[in-house]
Amino acid sequence: MPDPRPNPDIVHGVPPISVSNTSTIGNRTGSWKNIQPIYQDKVAPCNAACPVGIDIETAMDLLRQDQVEAAREVWLRENPLPGVCGRVCDHTCQGACSRARFDEAVNIRAVERMLGDLETPARPMAPARTRSEQVAVVGSGPAGLACAYHLARLGFPVTLFEADPEPGGWLRYGIPEYRLPRAVLSREIERVRNEGVTIRCGVRIGVNLGWKDLERFEAVFLGSGARARESFEWQQQDHPDVRSADDFLHGLRSGERGGIGERVIVAGGGDTAIDCARSARRLGAEATVLFSGTPEEMSAEPGVLDDAVREGVKFEYLARIVGLQTAPHPVDEPAIDAIRGMFDAGEAAHPHPRLVGVACVRLRPADGADGAVGARGGVSVPGSAFVLAADTVLVAPGPDASADTLPPDLHRRGYVLKTDEFGQTSRAGVFAGGDLTSEPRTVAHALGSGKRAAIGIDRYLRGKAKETVPALDATALRYGGTGSMSITRWRGDDPVKRAGEINRVVKFEELNMAYFTNAPSLPDRRRAPGDGAAPFDEADLGLAPDEALAEARRCFNCGVCNSCELCMIYCPDVAIKPHSSGHGFSLSYKHCKGCGLCVVECPRGAMTMTREGL
Amino acid sequence: MKKVMIGNHAVSWGVKLARTQVIAAYPITPQTQVVEELSEMCASGELKARFIKVESEHSAMAACIGASATGARAFTATSAQGLALMHELLHWAGGGRLPIVMADINRAMAPGWTVWTDQNDSLSQRDTGWIQLYCETNQEVLDSTIMAFKLAEAVDLPVMVVLDAFFLSHTSEPVDIPDQADVDAFLPPRHARYKLDVNEPHAFGALTTPAVYMEMRLRQQEAMDTVPATLVKVEAEFEARFGRRYGAIESYRTEGAELVLVTSGTITSTTRYVINELREDGEKVGLVKVKMFRPFPGAELRAALAGVPDVAVLDRNISPGHSGIFAEELRAALYALPAAKRPRVHGYIVGLGGRDVTPVTIRDCIQRARDAAKSVTEPEREDVWVGVKS
Repeated sequence: MPDPRPNPDIVHGVPPISVSNTSTIGNRTGSWKNIQPIYQDKVAPCNAACPVGIDIETAMDLLRQDQVEAAREVWLRENPLPGVCGRVCDHTCQGACSRARFDEAVNIRAVERMLGDLETPARPMAPARTRSEQVAVVGSGPAGLACAYHLARLGFPVTLFEADPEPGGWLRYGIPEYRLPRAVLSREIERVRNEGVTIRCGVRIGVNLGWKDLERFEAVFLGSGARARESFEWQQQDHPDVRSADDFLHGLRSGERGGIGERVIVAGGGDTAIDCARSARRLGAEATVLFSGTPEEMSAEPGVLDDAVREGVKFEYLARIVGLQTAPHPVDEPAIDAIRGMFDAGEAAHPHPRLVGVACVRLRPADGADGAVGARGGVSVPGSAFVLAADTVLVAPGPDASADTLPPDLHRRGYVLKTDEFGQTSRAGVFAGGDLTSEPRTVAHALGSGKRAAIGIDRYLRGKAKETVPALDATALRYGGTGSMSITRWRGDDPVKRAGEINRVVKFEELNMAYFTNAPSLPDRRRAPGDGAAPFDEADLGLAPDEALAEARRCFNCGVCNSCELCMIYCPDVAIKPHSSGHGFSLSYKHCKGCGLCVVECPRGAMTMTREGL
Repeated sequence: MKKVMIGNHAVSWGVKLARTQVIAAYPITPQTQVVEELSEMCASGELKARFIKVESEHSAMAACIGASATGARAFTATSAQGLALMHELLHWAGGGRLPIVMADINRAMAPGWTVWTDQNDSLSQRDTGWIQLYCETNQEVLDSTIMAFKLAEAVDLPVMVVLDAFFLSHTSEPVDIPDQADVDAFLPPRHARYKLDVNEPHAFGALTTPAVYMEMRLRQQEAMDTVPATLVKVEAEFEARFGRRYGAIESYRTEGAELVLVTSGTITSTTRYVINELREDGEKVGLVKVKMFRPFPGAELRAALAGVPDVAVLDRNISPGHSGIFAEELRAALYALPAAKRPRVHGYIVGLGGRDVTPVTIRDCIQRARDAAKSVTEPEREDVWVGVKS
């Protein structure tokens, strides 16, 4: 019914200003469009690049809101060892960070470390149900710890077997103290234990626990790692001053001084080689890393390389050892020393010629131009031989898995166990991960493989119990379809409400840089020996908690709505409103006319223009 | 509180005291200091306004239109080419009946490129539906800015406060700053009768057919018609609180005058000085200052000038192909007087592009007007250019 009263504002039949007499709510401007935006959370590139499969972006968003405890829970859903990874992970997430294309990548690793180092203990996750099937996990390195942790969180009773006296595997015996303090590792392993994992150390499969004994478990995960080593031609001389880097580091971690001389050559180019050289420096020796490739080809992370250089480690690139230089022992040494050495309980007398140097040859990068195909390291340059003084050589090539304790029926190629992407070996109920498999040899990849195997074991055992199990869609579980797997997706209990989620990594071009201001990253604080610290005190000090929070605030939240409201502010049709749930926004397609302003303005690409649904 | 300040900052203070809610502006000399000061006031928190940085004057006015349509008090400032770039949106603000206040620092139009003053920028916008108030002193600038909001919101029309580049914008004068509490009492928060409301949406400025368009323009004209009386009321209230008023026009020493000069802006002050000198010599010369150019105060001017034999208009502007714009408008307004009371109007073009208008220039105009008054043979041109090289 029209209002019968005269409107005093209407004069000459028109209102004072150009305004419609009736409401325009009934004008369905949405009918004009042939494209329309959808509100759609995507996947941040860091999540997809993380070999562990951590929902980094969500944690950063929570930290932005000072929800530190919730952020840690998000992290611990996927990674039991943030304190470890925050120190030793090569953080491929930061390589993928969109912010790197704007100013500098977010220092995600330092944020992870801060979460791992929080003093308040984390709450164990209450499993949704309790399972009765016993699972054995062999090896307490990162793969085994991850598998055991995730299985315990899925409700399984898990026993973790470790051959060494203390758990941690490579983390404890392969990475030196200055890079990963024992206390940090122990705290993180304690967290795994708190989830209900039983850890039994000093149990070596094939020695004091037979393979047959493992068969009483409903499922077994093999994560016993790799200790064997490649042999180099020159190593066949089998000189006692030529030693395995693994043995050196293992000895160091077990409390030995390492038994090295004054001039140490480390052959290799990975983190382990650098760990050896920096440890040698800390023990007072000169240390030279001899690497067959170029600096760019080193697999050690650049930050650590810088630290090593600052600590006095020398580098010889594009060079290879071709032989050892030795001297008859007593000849160039005072006799008295030799005699004393014979009575020295700590060291055997020298029954062999003493190592005085290594003969090397220069290499040039193999470019294939002359048909010379080399692996990394290229081909020898004729006439380029030189000698480096050395009394100890540590050999640090990537270790190969030692499979001699494994059942012979498991399919393998060389030492590498063959598995599917959920760690399933050729024998039902036996799963594997980490360095025992073809997994890239990083802590993060080992953690990721342990998690994938936990998913595989969960599905295997629930299937065996004739339960209905969800289809094992690896693509759906992987961030962006090809990244590492999210166990939260497998569990289906994501605490974060997402809007029309699509499993696609958002492109940099979908972000709107107009909303971000230049703010360089905060680098980790670092310390070298001699800076008032003991030689093996931690060298990389990470960031203070408030600095780490500031880093988290630099996150773009790529692809994921963080309720900044810009879409709502810009929408000319008032078609975007806060969602009734309190999270995010809802679109009214009755009035959205497909102008696309929200798609352009969204700083993080959480709106997509589409023809679907029209 | 008295403070020595430049004219541009007098605008800023007026905008601040008016508790303006949205400021959108793009920098241009000689205006920039107005919004520079305002951005600092916003940044320090002393002015709780949303300061919107935009990429052009067109966008600045668009942002003010949007803000004003939601019921907010909105302000911008510009000059010359910037004002010209706003042209389309000045119509939207005027036709949309949005009480936006804008300061235009009179700057001559390019080319040739210039930053100095004349009135061609603002006078080019005379038909866009904006009230225009030309100021003479920094005090008048501050007072007019505050009053502009009250006037605009009373009649639902936008107001342009106009001041001369450099002669006011960059020149320091003592200015009495009213107390905020007094300004608050004088100018309460805006209450918009019609505003954008997402819960009760209406179309604003939508398609208007020939059946109603004329009526819309008529209502705009009727609103303009109410401005002179509203200005009187606003000024009366302002004077009661602050002791100052200016008027749409001001007559100065016109008693018995045989020749009255008509001026606007800062030329007025120089003219007052010349009039004082001539009056001391016993000459019957007076002055009428025109503050309000739109709506044109025809009735007020007829009352002030009826029966005066000769009027000389000093125009710091030119409508190429015609004459000085104040002179042209005045001639049209005086035509309604009976012939016996209708003054002869002599038009002089002075001070374009910032050229100084000195007492010598003004005496030159007076002499020419007297000569023309005596001449019976040939009418003087309607645009006599004074102070130009031969």
